[in-house]
This record gives sequence, structure tokens and C-alpha cells, in this order.
Amino acid sequence: MSGDPSRPFKWVTVVCSVVTVGFLVAAAVRENVSADWRGHQAVFRGILQIKAKDDAARATARNLPIEIRQVVVPALHTVDRCVTCHLGIDDPRMTDQPNPHRVHPKQLLAIHRVEKFGCTVCHQGQGAALNFEEAKAEDYFWDYPLLPAKFTEATCASCHDPRALPKGSVEKLVLGMQLFEQKGCNGCHKLNGKGGQLGPALDNEGLKTKHQFVRASLKGSQTNWNWFAEHFRDPAGIVAGSLMPMPALSQPQVEALTVFMLSLRQRDLPAEYLAPDKIDEQYARLHPPAPDGAALYHRYCAACHDTGLHTRWDKKFARFVPGVRNAAFIRTEDDECLAENIREGRPGTRMPGWGPKAGGLSDAEVTALVAYLRTSAPAMALPVAPPRGEATRGAALFAQECAGCHGIDGKGLIAPALANPVFQQAATDAFISQTIRAGRENTPMPAFGRAGVSESQIGDLLAYIRKWQPQARSQRP
Amino acid sequence: MPDSPKRRDFLGLTALWSVAIAMGTALAGVMRLPKPAVQPGPLRVFKLGDPAQFAVGSTTRIETGGFFLFREEQGFHAISSVCTHLGCVVAHTEGEGFACPCHGSRFSTDGSVVGGPAPAALPWLEIVLSPDGQLQVNAESAVPKGTRFKV
Amino acid sequence: MTPDTKTPIREFLENLKQSPRHIRESAMRNGKAPETDRERSQSTFHNLFLHMQSVRTDRRSLRFAYTFGLGLILTASFVVLTITGILLMVYYKPGVELAYNSVKDIHFVVPAGRFIRNIHRWSAHLMVLAVFLHMARVFYTGSYKRPREFNWLIGLALLVFTLGLSFTGYLLPWDQLAYWAVTIGANIASSPREVTDAIGITAWFDPGGFQKQLLLGANYVGQESLIRFYVLHVAVLPLLISAFMGLHFWRVRKDGGLSRDESKPAPPARIGDRDVEVFAPTKTYGLMAVVRGRTPVVGRAPEGSVTSWPNLMWAELAAFMFTIAVTLVLSYFFDAPLKEMANPAIPENPAKAPWYFLGLQELVSYSAFMGGVGIPSIVLIGLGLIPYLDRDPRGVGVWFGGPAGRRTFWQSLIYGLTSVLALLAVTVNLGWLRTWFPTIPQIAIIILNPATVIVAMYSAWSLWVLRRTGSIRMSAVALFTCFLAGFVVLTAMGSIFRGPNWHFYWWPSQWPTH
Repeated sequence: MSGDPSRPFKWVTVVCSVVTVGFLVAAAVRENVSADWRGHQAVFRGILQIKAKDDAARATARNLPIEIRQVVVPALHTVDRCVTCHLGIDDPRMTDQPNPHRVHPKQLLAIHRVEKFGCTVCHQGQGAALNFEEAKAEDYFWDYPLLPAKFTEATCASCHDPRALPKGSVEKLVLGMQLFEQKGCNGCHKLNGKGGQLGPALDNEGLKTKHQFVRASLKGSQTNWNWFAEHFRDPAGIVAGSLMPMPALSQPQVEALTVFMLSLRQRDLPAEYLAPDKIDEQYARLHPPAPDGAALYHRYCAACHDTGLHTRWDKKFARFVPGVRNAAFIRTEDDECLAENIREGRPGTRMPGWGPKAGGLSDAEVTALVAYLRTSAPAMALPVAPPRGEATRGAALFAQECAGCHGIDGKGLIAPALANPVFQQAATDAFISQTIRAGRENTPMPAFGRAGVSESQIGDLLAYIRKWQPQARSQRP
Repeated sequence: MPDSPKRRDFLGLTALWSVAIAMGTALAGVMRLPKPAVQPGPLRVFKLGDPAQFAVGSTTRIETGGFFLFREEQGFHAISSVCTHLGCVVAHTEGEGFACPCHGSRFSTDGSVVGGPAPAALPWLEIVLSPDGQLQVNAESAVPKGTRFKV
Repeated sequence: MTPDTKTPIREFLENLKQSPRHIRESAMRNGKAPETDRERSQSTFHNLFLHMQSVRTDRRSLRFAYTFGLGLILTASFVVLTITGILLMVYYKPGVELAYNSVKDIHFVVPAGRFIRNIHRWSAHLMVLAVFLHMARVFYTGSYKRPREFNWLIGLALLVFTLGLSFTGYLLPWDQLAYWAVTIGANIASSPREVTDAIGITAWFDPGGFQKQLLLGANYVGQESLIRFYVLHVAVLPLLISAFMGLHFWRVRKDGGLSRDESKPAPPARIGDRDVEVFAPTKTYGLMAVVRGRTPVVGRAPEGSVTSWPNLMWAELAAFMFTIAVTLVLSYFFDAPLKEMANPAIPENPAKAPWYFLGLQELVSYSAFMGGVGIPSIVLIGLGLIPYLDRDPRGVGVWFGGPAGRRTFWQSLIYGLTSVLALLAVTVNLGWLRTWFPTIPQIAIIILNPATVIVAMYSAWSLWVLRRTGSIRMSAVALFTCFLAGFVVLTAMGSIFRGPNWHFYWWPSQWPTH
């Protein structure tokens, strides 16, 4: 039909229709024939047939429907389709099969029924997915990718007190918890409301998404666990400017701490999911046993003060951290003064307050800490302070003798600040004058009394130093 | 006549048929969508734990499953508690059988209809021992009346 | 039995036997495939779906290089979107706790769900692209001129509805893209506060706050907002766009069909399949006059036309199948995006809208009010005024209105591209007012920012063209072309060259991990 004006349109129609049919059929095949899970189920059917012992079992195996399977757990808001491929997950006969047909190891499903728990509550990953890549969901738009097997025990802590579980079942997690306490992480990080404030609180570290981490310098896998591992190796290399000190850790220790970080997740789980030991653990947190001062010191203080026996030069803080268990210091401080310093901290320095409203330590715990510090030396009866002298003379002397370390205006340089409200509040005249007179053993603070500074000069200094005392608060006698 | 009506326009016919096939294929795909590929609710297969925990002569009502589990000398059997008339849940009286509160259907102890509008007996459900040793009732699968599961 | 008693039964049986044929004939008013021009005409105006079309179509309207079939592609993609949209509604659950998982289910387990969602997404992209191109085609061929001015306005409304449908559509999965797009969109709606704050009247007059409340239904982004956007997406906007599409088509028909160059002699008419030279008065023919075949010119058709059945139908079918084929191919290879579940704690970085809003996103990165409200309003008002300012009836149906227009187009394109690129270069390398004068008041930035500067530069160029050529049409071509260039460059800027923290990068592979 030459000259038919519709001819090109007819051709376009034919070509486009053929393309349409082609892609429709291709899409149908992709979805209904060539999906991976269909293959896995067909293989599993074969395995079942081989393992069948009687005709009935063989018939059941033969008729095993090839279909999507899922575990719906309304209480946990999960729909997990992992069982579409892992058909033998609760079948003890499948111990000798390769994945995905293998039975769950360690017979854990006997006490954690699949129907009650699903899969992702322990393993994370995208339960809705029907192929392994998307279920694993690393480098995918999914917040909680599949936990590698070596980290899976992290999620046990959601329902269990790890220390109450059978020995060896959550080894890494328990080691991680111990390391966390021993290495003084709490000195800077709050956990369950207790801890310092230099670093972020860690209560929900395991529920953070990868976007909540600074990953600008993170090489390789962008998963949270890789972030933790790299960060534990070199904190400042991952988070620029991080002050976090990091003792050298072995690979198992890094892994253990990573597991512990991943276990920190405050999820609201229905009561029926909480193991009795978990409830005990929560109860124990609310009703702590008598505090142990030494343990508290290690947990909250040692990260900065180390053993506390010597003043320590901190490179990152660029100043001396006082040796708080130094006998010379402890001797001159009374218990109330120590407790006040612990409760209020030192504003303007890295030393945070540890009272109930700040660091979360109870009064009993502060008392226990003071008692622990007191083991270094008993409080001595301080010589009476000389009367306060002339502040202007004191100022000149301060500039000459003290300002080099304590700062020209007492704001502190490498040595503690004296123009500090908590110091001014806690320290008595007798304490200050005794420290000037006798110095502080094992610290750079010299004994000025032996270097020729007279009692009246000490009085002048005292007058000058007391000018920084806040007006509103009265001095302790 | 050049524009004879008898003249066949093969290209046009091909185009029309190809469109029809394309639309038919698309429609076939679309028709599959409303039927879910997987039931959205929890599984209708119920693991009831160790068979030994059920005493001989006991009747257990599994509310979430919609069936009664009977343990007798001869073995276990499970009877659906969903009325075959219009789907209400029947009540069970020991020794008498089942009664439906909605339209008055009554069933004997083995589920046979003895009164009311119900068109069929209450089905007996399949019971197996799961691979991990639990009593497992499949509420989606009926078995002939009298099929008992022996431990 | 007597014949009397037998007849009614025989008649009944006969009717029963014939009923399939009768049902078929009664359904199709013509009853059979048309064979003559008259029947072809009848098949058009005897059919509800076809009668909006003229019974004869100008051959020039069927020229691909004139329309590129864009209007048909738009209609086809709208049909595809409606069908796939309804299908998606079967499984989609509009709740903040449910939406994301229901979309995941559509993706993973709903039979054909993944494919249908992909088709929905891709035909939406196609529709937005086609609506821009369609507008450009109508503009450059002068098709907005009398008597088609009002249809141009209807078209503008359709553009706005299309963008509205796209925006409300990608919010529904309630993923990260959705959540932050709602947040940003709502704050753009409240951005008139920048102005009312600057002049200090927000306490009494707060259109921004009102708009935000209206959109979100709450003072935060949550369930109330999602359900509003859902209602907009599946009910309000589709109804509006359907009504306006009907109006648009009806006006196309009533305003004389597709525009064409009336000053040129018409190509030969086609009667049957012969080309016939006709000399007929240049008036619209009464429908019946043609199909009855009597007056005014027996045996002759209006100049240069062919019967719409089947010629126009073929064009329409081709465009429809083309649209479907393109979306299917795209849907097969590329999945519609779905980000992480909405997380109010942390936005994506960069949080990028779909491509068609990235030009705007670039603009709002200068000033939320100017980029999000001010300049879009100016552009829409300017576009709407075009047919009322350019009332020169010449140049209809000719690309760019002739060689002079073509020249203006190329000059304006070069000017438009250079100026916007230069301005972007300045902004990227040197910053803007706030970099230089950190304390500068917000009102100064609202008034003077790269977005307003580029509008001013384009307007100046257009005025200069007006003075030089003395033609409002040329000036309109200049302005439209400049804005087109600006739109393309800004869209590319937002899509490709902006990375984390909206910093400039030459290529996404240079983005730092974020």
C-alpha cells in the first residue's frame, strides 16, 4: 500500500509491541522461573527425598511445594523470609548439608523457636528479601545488614545478661564487657546513665545506622563493625581530632569490643522475650550491690589518672593530669574536699563532674571512691595557715613563681587551674598554704617553703589566690 | 477501485495483533498481582511441643490455630473449630460434640454434622512429628476422619 | 401444536441464537470495520473515546518532526501511571510504620510487584520529561497564539499537576528520600517567612506557616503528613489532572486542532488513497457536511487532510506502544530507587530529589524563598503571560517562527548557557554575599542571590532582543530559551556536580565517603 501515511506508525507499533512482549516475558521468567530461591527449594526437595525413611516421608518430600515461605512475628514486627532458602533450618537431619540447607548450628532453635523469634532479631539483615545479596544488605539501602557470624553473639544481649549465659556461649561479648570496664572507657563515655562526658554516650551504639558514623577516612567495608574495628585501632585516624586514647589491643580484643558495641541496643522488647537473667541484670542495675572503690576507680578514673600515683603528662590534653592517689596530695585533702572534687569536677578542665546529676555516680559510690583514694594515705592534721597577707605583693610573687605552670591569671596552663570555682570551694586555706609550703611529691609542684618562700609570703599568695573565689559561695572554713 | 475494502493490509493486521498480544501478556501479568504470593499472616503450621506433655484423655483448645487437639489411647487427633457453614468458631462440650453459636449447627464428637445448616463435617487436621521432635499440626491440611497420630 | 403457539418460541430461540451477534452490533455503533470514508468518519464520532477527535486530520499534524508525538506520549504515560498506580494501591499501606515495609513487599514478594512499581516510577519520569519537551515544542512552534492562548494556560496547570504528582508520589514509600523531601518541601512552603520575618510582620501575617500547616497537618513530619500526601497523590491530583487533560484535549479540538502554518498552501488532500488537489474555502467544515458527502464540495475533503480513522488512530497507537515499550525496557534493567527507612535523626548526604527538582534544589541552596517560591512563581506567571503579550498572529506552526527566530534561539542559547555557567563558576569558586559579608541581613540575600541575578540577566537579554528586533515574539523566544538553558544547567549542576554537604565535585566518584 504505497503512500499509506500510517505506514511508519504501523512499523513503530509492531516493533514496540514486540519489544513489550519480549520484556514482559523476560520479566515473568526472571520472577517466576529463574529466581535463586526456587533452585534452592528444588535441591532441598531432593535432599528430603534422599533422607526419607518411608513412603509417607518420600511422598511429603516429593510434594514439597515450591513457594515463598516466611516467618511472621507480630510481637517483634518482623517478617523474615530467610526460611524460603533455609528450609532445613530447624531440621536436625540437615547437620551434614551445606548452606543454605543446613540446620541451625548448636541446636539454638530448640530454645529459640523460629516461629517465636524469626531470624533478623538475632542476625539482622533484610528479612523481607528473597535473595542472598539483598538479604545480606551490605552496601545496600538498608540500615541493619546481616551480622557476620563472628559478631552474632552481640544480639544475645538484647534478651540475656551475657554473664549469666553458659560459659563459652558468648565469650567475645563477655570479654568485650570486661575490656570496657578495665580499659576505663566509662571515663569518657556514658553507658546506662553513668560515665564521663568527653565522648558520646554509647547506650544505642548497636542500633546506629552507618550514616551516623564519621566515615570520611574509613577504608574498605563501610559496615559498622568495620568502623568499630578500624576506630579501635586508631581513633583519631577515623574521627579527626579525636582525643580518645587507645591502648594497643590484640585482634581478639578488637573483635570482642566490637561485639560489645554492637550489643548496645535499647530495644523495647515484649516482656515474654526477656530471659530471667536479663531481668535480674536490670534489677541489679537499679539496686547495685555495695560499691567497690577500686573497681569504680578503674572504671571511671583510670583512663585519665592512670594509677593516680604520679602526675601524668597527657599529650592530647597538653597538660598534667593530677596524681590523685599520690600520698602527698591525699594526705593534705580531707574526705569532704575529695568528695566535692569528684562530684563537681573541675570546670574548665577535662575533669567532669561525677555526682548523680552529671556522671551518674551515686553518693555511696562517691564515698567508696573517696575511701579507695584514702587508702594511699591518712589525712594529716594540716599546719594552721598563715593569716592572709597583701594581695598585691602576692600577685607579684605569683607572676614570678607560679604563673609559669598555673597560668598568669590562675586559669591553669600545664598545672591545675586555681581560679576555678570548685577548687576555691573545696580547698581550705590550710590546704593551699601547706601545698605551697611542702609541694607535692612525685609531681612537678616544688616545695616552695624549702626554696625560701616565707610564711608571710605564703599569706600574701593566699590573699591573691583567694581573690578568685566566687563571691556567691562562702568559703569552707 | 484502489481503496478496495477487500485489500488486505498485512502490516496493519500484524500491528494490531502484536498490540493485542502485548496487551494480553500485560493483562496476564497484572491479573497475577492481586493474589499474594505468600500469606501475610503467621504460619498456619503449629508446633505444640513435646507430645508427652498432653495427658491421655485431654482436650486442648489451640485458639490461635483454630482447632482442638485430642489425646486418646489410640493417639492424637486435631479437629478444626471453624464451623463449615459460615466460619464461626464452634464450642466444644466433652462427650457431646461441637455447637456453633451463629446459626445453630451441631456436630458430633468426631465432627460429623448432626444438626443445623452446616454442609460438611468439621475437618480433621494433619498431625506429624516435626524433625525436631515436636507435635506439629498443619491447620491448612485436612486428613480423613479417624486418622490418628500415634507417638 | 399449531403454528401460532410455535412462533413465539421459535422467535425466542432464534433471538437467543442471534444474541451474541446482536450484543456485538449494539456495542459497536458501527457494527463492522469501516470501509468508506463516510464509515471511517462515523467510527470516529460514533465512539465515546474517539469522538473528541476530528473526523479528519491535517496531514501536517501527523508529521513526527512537528510534534514528536509528545502530547500522545504524555497521555499514554498518564494512562500507564493510572493503571499501575491502582495496582500498587492494592498493596501499599499509607502509614509511617507500614508504608516502607509494604513497598519492600511490593518489591520482593508481590507477583509482578517489582516490575509494576518500576514501570510506575519510569513512566513518571517519562511524563515529567515529556511535559517539559511538550511545552518547549508548543512554545517554539508558536502554538500558544490566538486562539490557543487559554489552552497554553491549561497546559501550564497540567505541568504543575504533573510535578505535584511526582513530588507527592516519591514521598509515599517513606524512605529517607521521602522523609527529607517532605521536610524540605514543607519548609519551602513556609519560606515566605524569610520575607515576613525580614520585614517583621510574621506575627500578624504568616502565609508561610499557614502553607506548612496545610501540607503537614501538624507541626512535624509524620503520619498526618503522609496521609495528606497520599490523598493528594491518589485522589486530588489525579482527578484534577484528568479534568484538565479533558479540557486540554477539548480545547485542542475546538481551537482548530494542532497548530499549522496557515500561510502555506496545504498539501494535497487524500480521498481514499489518492492525493487530490482541492481548492476549498478556508473555513471549518461542518462535521456532517463532510461525512454526508454532499455540501459544500462533493467528493472532496478539507485541504490536506486524511480521515482520522485509521490514520490518526495509528499514530496514537504507535505513541502508546512506544511509551509502554520504553518504560518496560527501563523497568526491566533499572529498579525504582528505595532508600533506607525514614530516619528523622539524620538526613541523607546529599539528600537529593529526583532530577527534575534538582534545578530548584540548586536554587534553594541560595535562598529558600527565592529558589522555592519566588522564582518558580515568576517563571510560571511569565510563562502564563506569553500568549497575552505576544499577540502577533504570524509564525504559527513554524519552528522558531522562521530563520530569524532560529538565529535568536541559538544566540539566546549561547547567552543563556554562558551566563549561568559563569555565575555558577563565581558562586562555586568565590562564594556569595554571605561569604564576603558574614553579617549581611537575610533580606539582602533574598533580593540579591545567584538565582535573582540570573533572572535579571535573562530579562535584560530579552529586553535587549526586544529593542533590537522590535518583535515581542523574538524577545519571548530569547527569554524562554535562556530559562531553558538555565534549567538544564542548574539541573545538571544539582544532579551531577553537587556532592555531600552540597559541595561542588566534578564527578560523583570524587565524593568523599560520608
